Amino acid sequence: MDEHFSGFGAYVLYAITTAMMIFIMAPLLLVMAVSVSDSYFVTFPPQGFTLKWYFKVLGDRDFLEAMRLSILLALGTTAGSLLLGVPASFALVRGNFFGLAAIKGFLLSPLIFPALVTGLALLQVLTKLGSQDARLNLLIGHIVVTSPYVIRTVVTSLQLVDENLEDAARTLGANRLWTFWRVTLPQIASGVAAGGLFAFMVSFDNYPVTMWLANSEYSPVPLVLMRQLVNVFDPSVPAMSTIIILMAMVGVLLLEKLVGLRRALAA
Amino acid sequence: MTSDDAVAVVGAPPETRQGSRWRLNLPAGLLALPMLAFLAYFFFYPAIRLLFSSIQTQNSQGIIGPPFTLAHYARLIDVELYARVFWTTLRISLITSALATLLAYPVALVMVKSRPLVTRIITLIVIAPLVVSVVVRGYGWQLILANGPKGMLNWILMTLHIVDGPVSVLYTEKAVVIGSLHVFFPMMVLPLASALGKIDRNLEDAARVLGAPWWKVFLRVTLPLSMPGFVAGFTLVFSLTAGSFVIPAILGGASAIMLGNLIEQQIFVVYDWPFGAAIAVVLVGVVFAVNGFSMWLLEGRRLRRPS
Repeated sequence: MDEHFSGFGAYVLYAITTAMMIFIMAPLLLVMAVSVSDSYFVTFPPQGFTLKWYFKVLGDRDFLEAMRLSILLALGTTAGSLLLGVPASFALVRGNFFGLAAIKGFLLSPLIFPALVTGLALLQVLTKLGSQDARLNLLIGHIVVTSPYVIRTVVTSLQLVDENLEDAARTLGANRLWTFWRVTLPQIASGVAAGGLFAFMVSFDNYPVTMWLANSEYSPVPLVLMRQLVNVFDPSVPAMSTIIILMAMVGVLLLEKLVGLRRALAA
Repeated sequence: MTSDDAVAVVGAPPETRQGSRWRLNLPAGLLALPMLAFLAYFFFYPAIRLLFSSIQTQNSQGIIGPPFTLAHYARLIDVELYARVFWTTLRISLITSALATLLAYPVALVMVKSRPLVTRIITLIVIAPLVVSVVVRGYGWQLILANGPKGMLNWILMTLHIVDGPVSVLYTEKAVVIGSLHVFFPMMVLPLASALGKIDRNLEDAARVLGAPWWKVFLRVTLPLSMPGFVAGFTLVFSLTAGSFVIPAILGGASAIMLGNLIEQQIFVVYDWPFGAAIAVVLVGVVFAVNGFSMWLLEGRRLRRPS
């Protein structure tokens, strides 16, 4: 134990920390436990063991369709927010012009704006424009919300790039694009990947924007899950939830591998 | 160690950064244009429009236009039900951020000052749920807090004979606070841990050597120096809770409706766009006020120096 903590204070700190760890894990573990419960109603404590709810979920057309839609939407969102966010990050780090700070503030502003209101405002404009395609509307809405995440991670990693290496490449005759591709990009790759992964995860889980722009034909996973939660009382909802939890965990482990979690989030 | 230090080590000194680099400043700036244009059209413009429709009138065909009026805002104050939703939202957000602060300090301290393995485990546990769908987490709490003897909390309490009959937590403000605390707790821990990690440990050691007990070291040295992290975290948790929809919808039921749920109801159920827009503007106003205040605190460096 660190010499920073000693005596009674240390016990208080460790007790609260342990309690919070249990608090954080409890709902997730419970959902997973209930999903293998061999009972037609969700009860505590869970009884028996079965995987039948997983078979039921994996045969559920609505859920699978929502899954497919959500993954496609999240992929499109990732591509879109990287295409907009990476060049913009470059401008913010390398540019030197009047109003740079203001532009940065503007580009990051969707982060502090309540997403619920972002979605509502967008719905009003898209309706006015007559845009009926829920898929396109969702894509636009999700990119608005996720692109600032890309800015945050890419700007951080760009600030760490050694510009002397770029100069060396230039001196040796590489043009700007080639320099970017072979020298700069490898150095910011983890930041770009983290930003992309963030965009994917935020899009996949987004409710407050999705709720306004989806329609009955195109309902991504969070909406379907919310609907099921109200209407279905067997453990297929915990089974769906567990599938989503496991997917999320893979995402987190990837993020941890790519950049280290603290750095990815603290930026 | 921190990314700031890394910038100092790796980055070139300011004068060479400005100097004869191959990059041109203006073209570099142009790279921001696509995103600027995108956000201007799909974020900024819609927000302005929303603001406008909140002071306009909706006719019987559902078309929004003049005359201009502040009636929708007045309604939010005058109608007791709506005013109550407003105060409920503020109360839940405030209690959630206060609780998050109290509980995040110990966690962040342990996270920053423990052995690497402990730090890593705590970090993973704090962050992992962040990527799990909020709907799933709300559902988990619904199962734990479920009213009646089948809920996990009640089962535990009754098995341990702490209570005789089941307690009712689900569909109350308490449930919403618990769920929001769960969802937004990382937003408090991470800035706090980052602020605590930047504190020069010599300062704390000095206080200790001079005979201060641990709580005095914390109160007089650590706490004041961690204020930037606290302000950032508090602002984040407050803003996110105030603007949330899913957790109150799942855990609050009819008795703890928040502004977000009221907006959704006004638009999707009542089709009252101007009123829905007005509530949204009020929500944004509250969030911006809190953010502005914390920015003022942080940028004025009013918090950096321990008194």
